[in-house]
Amino acid sequence: MLDADVEVDRREFTVRADIRVRPGERLALFGPSGAGKTTLLEVIAGLVRPRRAMITLAGRVLTATAPPRAAVPPWRRRVGLLRQDPGLFPHLSVRANLGYGPAADRSGAELSQLAGVLGIGDLLAAMPARLSGGQAHRVALGRLLLAHCDALLLDEPYAGLDASLRRVLTTLVRELVTARQVPSVLVAHELAEAQAFADRLAVLDRGEILQAGAPDEVVRRPATRRVAELVGYRGFVPAADRSARGSRGGSRSGAAAGLVAGIHPDRIEAGARPRRGLVLTGAVLAVRPAGAGWEAELQVADETVTCRLAERPAPAGRELVVTALDPPWFGPDGTAAVRPPQGEQVGA
Amino acid sequence: MSVAIAGVVWLALLGPVIALLAHLSAGAIGSSLSAPGALTPLVVSLESGAVTLAVLLLLGTPLAWLLARGALPFPRVWEAGVLTVLLLPPLVIGLLLVFMIGPFTPIGEGIAALHLSASNTFLALVIAQVYESAPYYVLGAQAAFSGVDPRMEQQAALLGDRPWRVLRRVTLPLAGPGLAMALAVAWARAMGAFGAVIIVAYHPYGLPLQIWTTLQETGLASALPFALVLLVVALPLPLAAYIWSARARRRRRG
Repeated sequence: MLDADVEVDRREFTVRADIRVRPGERLALFGPSGAGKTTLLEVIAGLVRPRRAMITLAGRVLTATAPPRAAVPPWRRRVGLLRQDPGLFPHLSVRANLGYGPAADRSGAELSQLAGVLGIGDLLAAMPARLSGGQAHRVALGRLLLAHCDALLLDEPYAGLDASLRRVLTTLVRELVTARQVPSVLVAHELAEAQAFADRLAVLDRGEILQAGAPDEVVRRPATRRVAELVGYRGFVPAADRSARGSRGGSRSGAAAGLVAGIHPDRIEAGARPRRGLVLTGAVLAVRPAGAGWEAELQVADETVTCRLAERPAPAGRELVVTALDPPWFGPDGTAAVRPPQGEQVGA
Repeated sequence: MSVAIAGVVWLALLGPVIALLAHLSAGAIGSSLSAPGALTPLVVSLESGAVTLAVLLLLGTPLAWLLARGALPFPRVWEAGVLTVLLLPPLVIGLLLVFMIGPFTPIGEGIAALHLSASNTFLALVIAQVYESAPYYVLGAQAAFSGVDPRMEQQAALLGDRPWRVLRRVTLPLAGPGLAMALAVAWARAMGAFGAVIIVAYHPYGLPLQIWTTLQETGLASALPFALVLLVVALPLPLAAYIWSARARRRRRG
């Protein structure tokens, strides 16, 4: 179990976080660049001194700023850190890199077996300069696993790699940390990467954990409007006046309730399906291909809403009706609100 | 065309060495070097050079590491200090050393209390050589340490290495080629040190002073063989360092 309750000062704000990761559990810290994610990992690794902290790992106190104080140095923490730069020692062969940790098994049996699992069995004699980016990351991962760390910290390790390689490596890490029952924390500023890895997602912004929970739950039920913005909701549409329901050009005096619906581009269906969510009617501002489908900008009331659709929608200038599937609602204070009755409609 | 221009510049740079080789005869070398005591300056130079290198390694390496890691307050001030010594003409260093460690100075008296003297002694020769070569070593070593990514050292620590093991297993091997080159340059400077040496350590003669006095007493021709000796003695270490660095870099490339 990794338990870290940390306060660390940064230039613009203080990072305050309390995370608990069970053995084999995979936590993703997701947030924009500069939110304090890496700082948090570096405090856990013992590389940055916190203002206040209580960090325990597998029953050992690593950092305690309150008496009895403790500050275990990095070399005795048994915490593995994987960064975007694999950080292989360039003067050592792949085999020597893998076996670098003093805790690494000297017989070589585990090394050979893990090298096989990682797909680098043929590269043991090679020097790091000869490796591709993906191979170097496999060696870096193997090196941490052979050092028998009690926790694995991943600081956007695969951010610089292409998508398919990223997927392969993320799956590999998932399988290995689960098999070895190591608590692991991934830092990511891309939601898809965090979701692909984690079984729990914590959203961090300006040093504060805004929400934590199952990845799908956090994305579908953001606790605040800010979380919604961070997880990809683009467009916040006020609830329409009940009296104006269904009417075109309807008044939005219903905004008196102050409620807004968060619209996620991926949770939109073409056509009016009032039973499934919020029906939006608006003028198409722009249409462009996106992946295998289409992305349209829609003017709904005063808001621009982005929606991704499987079929090509009406061209710019025409009217389009779509349904935002079961959108989250937010009150005037930005916190999640009880959603209004189904069948709500908002028109341009 | 560019090769031709580079060739002319290269030959011009090597001109003095070529001139030396062209003007030497086996007979002149034999008669100069077989004179009684002719090889004593060579021994003096080698001994003082070795002590100088030891001092630089011992004192200059930690300073270079601290400079490279930005571990000192006001780092620019520290660097400027090292640069000042580099920019001082050797002759001026010699003059100032007299005022600093001469027999009638507090430091000189301290040295005298240890029954030593920093004037016209082996110690004075070493001190003069250290001052002439130290900035070259410190700045070169600083660049070598700066080339080692601190994250690499962090990674080694997180894998379980204590700081001294990180130094031995990661920092020094990675900075090694650069350190060797810095040391080689410092060696060449120490062996050729003349300006400061002639003022504070006229005796015992090292090779540069031997060349100077021979030139003064018996003329150009008899000084030339000693120039060759100086070249032959000063070159192997830099050459070995160069070859070793090149091999280390090649090995890293796989």
